[in-house]
Amino acid sequence: MSDEKSSANDKTNAKDEILQWVTFKLESESYGINVMQVQEILRYNEVAPVPGAPSYVLGIINLRGNVVTVIDTRSRFNLSPCEITDDTRIIVIESEQQIVGILVDSASEVVYLKASEIEAAPNVGNEESAQFIQGVTNREGELLILVDLDKLLSDDEWDELKQF
Amino acid sequence: MAKALSASKKVMKTYLSELLTDDLCNQANENHESPSKTTSISENKRLEVLLKNVNAELKIAPAEVGMQNSAPQIIKQKAKQGTQNSHLIEVSSEARLSSNEDTLTTQKSTDILATKIIKIIKRKTEKTYRQGDFQVLFFNVGGLTVAVPLIELGGIHAVDKITPLMGKPEWFKGVMLHRENKINVVDTALWVMPEKCDTIMKESLNYQYIIMLSDSAWGLTAESLVDTVTLNQEQVKWLDSPSKRPWLAGLVKDKMCALLDVDSLIELLNEGSGIYQVDS
Repeated sequence: MSDEKSSANDKTNAKDEILQWVTFKLESESYGINVMQVQEILRYNEVAPVPGAPSYVLGIINLRGNVVTVIDTRSRFNLSPCEITDDTRIIVIESEQQIVGILVDSASEVVYLKASEIEAAPNVGNEESAQFIQGVTNREGELLILVDLDKLLSDDEWDELKQF
Repeated sequence: MAKALSASKKVMKTYLSELLTDDLCNQANENHESPSKTTSISENKRLEVLLKNVNAELKIAPAEVGMQNSAPQIIKQKAKQGTQNSHLIEVSSEARLSSNEDTLTTQKSTDILATKIIKIIKRKTEKTYRQGDFQVLFFNVGGLTVAVPLIELGGIHAVDKITPLMGKPEWFKGVMLHRENKINVVDTALWVMPEKCDTIMKESLNYQYIIMLSDSAWGLTAESLVDTVTLNQEQVKWLDSPSKRPWLAGLVKDKMCALLDVDSLIELLNEGSGIYQVDS
């Protein structure tokens, strides 16, 4: 009987896996991205604009000899642009087999979340940007929006980025 | 500020008169045909006409509308017809097969539509507040007074930090945390009257409360709470038409304000429908 119980508990625990999320701020909201997709977090340094680049591309940076495209996260999330500050960071991520940087207002911390703590966002709105949201969770009385980086750009847009 | 409010009150008067005129026009047409009939009879007649239009073959009498199993029975009959038809199809030509399939699909879709309409009518008329006295809460949004039956009120919260989510419709104000719950906050003015919400009005809106809809996660923003009043059936003009404004249960006659059909509103919000999608 107790064996049955413990095996049931094991199953529940196995399903309720703990995931790590890197949190960052944009405007006054907190967002989280899966830590497994984050390669590094850089202080802001000059982003060289690329003539004729799509609107969501801020420019490129030189990362130890490699060219990394930086995405304008604010414009992607339909937020108004803001000035670069000391807190501004570029989070280098790997998504869709590509390495890109996303510009954020500030990087905060790494948090541990159980899968059961993540709730689906309300299924309203068919705008493209609504698909970026993987889920939401209550983190110390504040709402943390979890972003699905693979959906940050459409397939065509990821293909377009490869050309940079 | 006071100027903006008085301006929005004017807008609201026009808005409500539009709501009412539309409905009264329909009523006037019916009264023209048979002036002696009471309102309830004319409404029943309207429903009958509606059902007849949906599918003449259904032959649904008003008494049958209340029967719980009437709709599935109809579908079963149709399914039976479908089997017989497909038996005939085997010996007929390919062209006839496709035309029969088309007819079956059309019949099926009209059946589904009829079932849906019956369900909506049943749900609207079977509400507990559709009998005897009932209490409603009045609240204000942008000069518009809205009523919600107390029995369908999930709670009232003070507005706290609302986190907007990207890519959501303008009427979706965001998510508000309340203890362990996440409330989906609706900008009531933008949902109910998007066409009246210009920049001046949006700036003048000062939401103070969240009116929770039943036990759902949806909450409507309100600028102020007016009062709770006990109403009787005569004080409300009930709107049972399922196709137009399903979120509107009726109109409170003396306050000239909208009474919400909470269940239908929740359904629409879950679907992500704004008021424009409802009208279309």
